[in-house]
Amino acid sequence: MILAMLKVMALSLIRDRGALAMAFLLPPTIFVIFAAIFSGTSGDELRLQVAYGSEITSDTASRFETAIRNEPSLRVLADSLASEQAVRTAVAQGEADVGLVLRGDLALSGDVSPVLVIVDPGKLMGGAIVSGQVQRVLSGSLADIGVARMAPSIESLVGGFTPQQSAQLAAAIDQMAAEPAAETESGAVVASETLQGRSGSGATVTYYAGAVAILFLLFSAMQGAATLIEERNSGIVDRLAVGPAGTDVVVIGKFLFLTLQGTLQVALIFVVAAFAYQVDVVGVLPVWLLITVLSASAAAGLGLAVASACRTKQQAQTVSTFAVLVFSAIGGSMVPRFMMPPWLQDIGWYTPNAWAIEAYQGVLWRDETLTNLTASFLPLAGLGVLGVLVAVLVSRWRLRL
Amino acid sequence: MTPKQTPPIALPEVDDHPVLDIAQLTVSYGHRQVLKQLDLRIEAGAIYGLLGPNGAGKTTLIRTICGRIVPTSGSVSIEGLSNRKKSTLRRIGLVPQEIGLYSHLTVRENLQAFGRLSGMSAAETRDAVKWAEDVTRLSERHGERLDILSGGWKRRVNIAAAILHRPALLILDEPTVGVDVDARNELHEVIRDLTHSGMAVLIATHDLDQAETICSSVGFLIDGTIGPAGPPQALIDAEFAGGTVVIIELRRSLTALQRSALLKAGFSASNGEMTWSIFGDVGDAVSTALSAQLDRLGISAREIRHRKPGLDTLFLQLTRKPAPEPTS
Repeated sequence: MILAMLKVMALSLIRDRGALAMAFLLPPTIFVIFAAIFSGTSGDELRLQVAYGSEITSDTASRFETAIRNEPSLRVLADSLASEQAVRTAVAQGEADVGLVLRGDLALSGDVSPVLVIVDPGKLMGGAIVSGQVQRVLSGSLADIGVARMAPSIESLVGGFTPQQSAQLAAAIDQMAAEPAAETESGAVVASETLQGRSGSGATVTYYAGAVAILFLLFSAMQGAATLIEERNSGIVDRLAVGPAGTDVVVIGKFLFLTLQGTLQVALIFVVAAFAYQVDVVGVLPVWLLITVLSASAAAGLGLAVASACRTKQQAQTVSTFAVLVFSAIGGSMVPRFMMPPWLQDIGWYTPNAWAIEAYQGVLWRDETLTNLTASFLPLAGLGVLGVLVAVLVSRWRLRL
Repeated sequence: MTPKQTPPIALPEVDDHPVLDIAQLTVSYGHRQVLKQLDLRIEAGAIYGLLGPNGAGKTTLIRTICGRIVPTSGSVSIEGLSNRKKSTLRRIGLVPQEIGLYSHLTVRENLQAFGRLSGMSAAETRDAVKWAEDVTRLSERHGERLDILSGGWKRRVNIAAAILHRPALLILDEPTVGVDVDARNELHEVIRDLTHSGMAVLIATHDLDQAETICSSVGFLIDGTIGPAGPPQALIDAEFAGGTVVIIELRRSLTALQRSALLKAGFSASNGEMTWSIFGDVGDAVSTALSAQLDRLGISAREIRHRKPGLDTLFLQLTRKPAPEPTS
């Protein structure tokens, strides 16, 4: 009997082109878009548009502008603007992500910073990135200017340089200007290193594969489970209620189908991730499959619980859209949870999204063992079982109304 | 030598249980009694029409027969067995008022699905589907998807899906809603054919013409209990022997005063109060007088006609509410 229900669901899906596209075409497409966006922002593909302006004319200013224009992580507008106000206007009008103004001599120390970074309030991160790049340029290709700015401070600290020391310092600065240091991190105070996970791709791609997977699992499960309401309203459930199948077979059949459909759906996302972004799924296939089945069953259980509790399809649509969007927002499907305030990160653990993403990250990136992943498995499995149980009981109860 | 004793002739026991036997059935929702000590019997091969106004308890009665509602008191038996047993419910086939089928599936796929969902094996389902297609005359359209069939054909599939397991009792809830006259007559043929094999049929309907046409017996469910019941013509004859129904078709709606006057005179309204009827021994002279009286009341009649009383007349008489006092 359950197989008959599975067959009905499968045939109905296959013959509904809209639902078919929504189930199997849209998820990989959205994943590719997310991966393209976020793998860029986390790697060196992020190139900010910068409006450059200088209020002074000097040899140092020319060298600074050249260094900034040669910086590969920045795209500096072709025209150099003449005033701070012109740079502000360019940023305000959206012509550039960030503005950079040279408003004083770099070599002279003073109360006012010679370089001003102007940030669009909607792109605060861009300001931090450009500030960092400017510091890097000053300590690399313009290291002589940095030393020249620091010299007066050091001189006052040591009680003044002797004429010989002053001459040696000036010669050293001239030499540094003539032979800029290579851009290596040797001798730098801070060095950074990006960890390599077990997967060949970036952590962001792996993250978003899981994030998009659970997002679409929830959407598809909610949509598929809503057929329970259609069947109730069309009399199918009335018809089956007098037979041996009852509503239990309908609910359990749908649960199995939605779990199967979800598994296929997620498989397609990860096939794209494997081919386009070298995410190594094959090496951890059994654990990946377990996570996928558990995530799909959690989504199916949740969807059926919502569908059984709602009286009309419209009501279910409203509730499920609300639930999926809120779960996805706070569970990390839209924005990584580490970027959220701590209290919101804590709330996120009450969503299936957080556990599914954590499990996928665990196996595909952090190379965690099955034992370590159990913490993620239990909430997903629990939600699946609880959801289907609620759906069975509520559907039975509805028959008595 | 003693003569050999002849053993007594053993006759098989006659199963005299009606297909449906409802005794003293009461169903309450809280303090409100929806069904009140209701009795109903339907024999094999009979077509019983369950008639009644909205809210009389038809849906509650069907749900109680199907085991979905536990009665407050009384009993429901199918072929002598209580419907509280799950196995007894399998002797019921339910045709819901809506098209309770999967629209993306073909006729045959639907029947196969419901066959399997009713617990039949693949082989049993194959035979049952063929039989159901034949008896509902669906064979020629078995490969077509539900969503492209007309209302009449969908209604046939709706019935076919309910008879796959050859139930003893087939319950049809408004089986011909939204179908044209030809399709309705064909459905009647299908329903009659089903009773030839001994299936008992219970039809809940508002279509009194349908009830009069195909039901061997009808019962009026009013205020939670079955009122007058029996063969349609017998009920009509008993109530209206030799009489005539006068029907007034109005040109325009009545004022409150006009409405009250007609109700007080014993008229019943239908068709959104644009048709009014009264039963009586009415001759031409009375008709002329009636016409004059209507004129005096300012009621503009498009047509006044006579016809023999039918179930609709009985229905209107049974469900007629007393005339309210006019407000002015």
